[in-house]
Amino acid sequence: MRAWIIGFVAVLFYAVTHALHRGMTQDLVRPGVFTGWVLFSVIMFLALFNIRKKMPMIPLGSAHTWLLLHVAGGLLAFSLFVLHTGSFWPTGAYEQVLAFLLYLITLSGIAGYILQRIYPARLTETDLEVIYERIPAEIASIREKAEQLILECAEKTTSDTLPKNYLNDWRWYFKKPRFFLSHAMGRNRGHFWIRNHGETVRRYLSQAEVPYLNELTSLAKIKNRIDFHYTAQSIMKGWLFFHIPVTAALMVFGAWHIIVIHVYAV
Amino acid sequence: MADATLMARPQRWDEPFGPEMTDADVQMLLERPEISAIEAKRFPTQVPLTGILKNDTRIVTYKSGEIVVRENDYGNSAFLILSGILRVVLAPGLPKEKLGRHIPNKKNFLESLSQLWTNRSIPEVRDTRLYEQKGLLRAEDAQNTRVMLQDIPVVLDTQKTAELGEGQLFGELAALGRIPRSATVFAEHDATCLEIRWQGLRELRKFDEGWRRRIDEKYRENALKVHLSETPILSGIGAEAVEQVADHTLFETYGTFDWNISYQKMRRQGKTGISEEPVIAKEGDYPDGLLLVRAGFARVSVHHGQGVRTLTYLGKGDSFGLDELYVGWKEKRSMPLQTTLTALGYVDVLRLPSKILEQHVFSKIDPPKRSLIDLADRALSEDALLEWAVEERFVNATQAMLIDLDKCTRCDDCVRACASTHDGNPRFIRHGHTFDHWMVTNACLHCVDPVCLIGCPTGAINRNIDSGTVVINDNTCIGCGACANSCPYDNIRMVDIRNLSGKALVDDHTQKPLQKATKCDLCVDQLGGPACVRACPHDALKRIDFQTVMRQTSKGS
Repeated sequence: MRAWIIGFVAVLFYAVTHALHRGMTQDLVRPGVFTGWVLFSVIMFLALFNIRKKMPMIPLGSAHTWLLLHVAGGLLAFSLFVLHTGSFWPTGAYEQVLAFLLYLITLSGIAGYILQRIYPARLTETDLEVIYERIPAEIASIREKAEQLILECAEKTTSDTLPKNYLNDWRWYFKKPRFFLSHAMGRNRGHFWIRNHGETVRRYLSQAEVPYLNELTSLAKIKNRIDFHYTAQSIMKGWLFFHIPVTAALMVFGAWHIIVIHVYAV
Repeated sequence: MADATLMARPQRWDEPFGPEMTDADVQMLLERPEISAIEAKRFPTQVPLTGILKNDTRIVTYKSGEIVVRENDYGNSAFLILSGILRVVLAPGLPKEKLGRHIPNKKNFLESLSQLWTNRSIPEVRDTRLYEQKGLLRAEDAQNTRVMLQDIPVVLDTQKTAELGEGQLFGELAALGRIPRSATVFAEHDATCLEIRWQGLRELRKFDEGWRRRIDEKYRENALKVHLSETPILSGIGAEAVEQVADHTLFETYGTFDWNISYQKMRRQGKTGISEEPVIAKEGDYPDGLLLVRAGFARVSVHHGQGVRTLTYLGKGDSFGLDELYVGWKEKRSMPLQTTLTALGYVDVLRLPSKILEQHVFSKIDPPKRSLIDLADRALSEDALLEWAVEERFVNATQAMLIDLDKCTRCDDCVRACASTHDGNPRFIRHGHTFDHWMVTNACLHCVDPVCLIGCPTGAINRNIDSGTVVINDNTCIGCGACANSCPYDNIRMVDIRNLSGKALVDDHTQKPLQKATKCDLCVDQLGGPACVRACPHDALKRIDFQTVMRQTSKGS
């Protein structure tokens, strides 16, 4: 309901701005200054969301409401930009830089919003929860268990087949998060890798070594799920490191654009 | 077996209530009229009266002005006055600040804003001057720490009080009934009391007719009739019938008062709950009375396949066995119980004998609308959440932090918001038990039965009687860790504190860091309610009352 109200207000806001813009054009008043200021104000408002996040102690409304306003405001800003320039791609070089930055922000915002709708449920389906900052420690713990297992295998079975295989292949896998792109694209290369490497070495193992391999692959499967957490959480945290600096750049360039327009054009 | 290490099986009295109790003290007590009237031979050999006196009691002396019990505190002991005079403060009671209570002081907008620049980069910084409120605390060690009441003559002039003298017993209802203390009691002059922990009190009530009568009559006089009148099935039967029912009501207790300890142990051993729960009434047995839950929680279950299925749980005011008793009375036949009732932790039950109900109640009430066994018609999947919540004891929660993992982006904005509003250190961990796509995090649940309050030597951890929020008064917390050890959900954390210049505070005797207990306080002093809820951009985090959710789920299906 809240989302619908905010969406309606955004559409209404655009309709009013559009009507005023049209009226100014008919009255032979330059409407660009008006729409430019409206656009800049909306962008400033969008940037306030990040400030709101840093001030949880002040009752400025829920972050959820702010996010809805941010999404609606973002789409509104893009529409106002088109209204302001009269096209999807302006002609001047400086204006093209501004347009490029706005496109980057809008697309990264939409991508971030979609990713934040897709990844959480997929993380839940791993049936494992891990705090992002603890991922290196979790992987180290799994690696330690794997190495203990291999040592025990060497001691108990007096065979070096699995230990050697571990050193050649598995050690690489257990070292750090792997298959980032595969996880990001929704594929499961890690699972395939584990099965493939497990089956490759299985035929050379004695009866006594097989349980060790089974346990090793179980540990690898847990790590594979942690790897997915690493990928998904990295992306969900990381896209903001693109979105926010580009927004800051747009605001600086936009402010300079306003100064130049007021000094030379108005 | 050859590798096994032999050791004595731990016994009930391995840890006496008062280690300093001597045989001479026990002898002195046995000579007192209140104790000498007890028939010692009625006590079983493994729980002798002298054993109870030596291990379940302790002699405590109070100096003038010291508070013995405080209104709204949860306690696990009763007091018998051996000498001296105590005063009980009657309604409206003492102001919170006199009791050393934390008074939530909501910040105004400017104070909220000022946290932006007053928050320190080092977490858990404390203004140590606040701990030096002279006279509030007399602390040698946790057990002997007391809250002092200042200016007794003024208190006596301005408050209505009643005298409690030698031989009087008080605090037994709160100790046995798991309810907050109803009034504050303080020492007017130096006094000596025999403090009896609930286990000993339970045995005294069980094996001695005099003590049972004394405790039960007091409860009958003070609370039973009100409780019965408020029970929905008895609300329309009239005062006379309620009187009759009250006169014949039996009091029963199941489970252990400190269920949190056995629960924690059970979880560590990986056992499931229901096999360990004391049975109150068993499926297939014939009921001899209606059971009313007075305090605590009980699980209603039924055999299903090779296991046991949880149908629902009962809390304060709920009844069990009505369907079977009513049908039996109506159809003039005995009907066995269709479900089993087990104690979830500690349960206080009132048993209303069937004969009395047949005489005074059944003819005046409507037939029960729905039977508990009808709940078994639901699909197993519909009850999976309930089964989980009961198993994890989340039914105790009034403000559980529930995260919808399908919405949560794991951004930790909730954690940062909590840290920003609480000395730079979050008061919860975004981690916990999960079911389906729900997670109950390690944040204080603000329990219906807050076991963390029991054992706090200063009452620093207390429940706000208006809001139900469990809060810690940082100024009176002595960092003993009793609450953190008691919390069955591991939601209280002890933190090392620092002074205003950022230096770690260390105990000058032990050289150990000084600690304080910390937990979620629902942002009681912040504007706008819990910061964690407001900080979630995806509306994934909510604070919920499990009882409300469960009851809505039950009604909906």
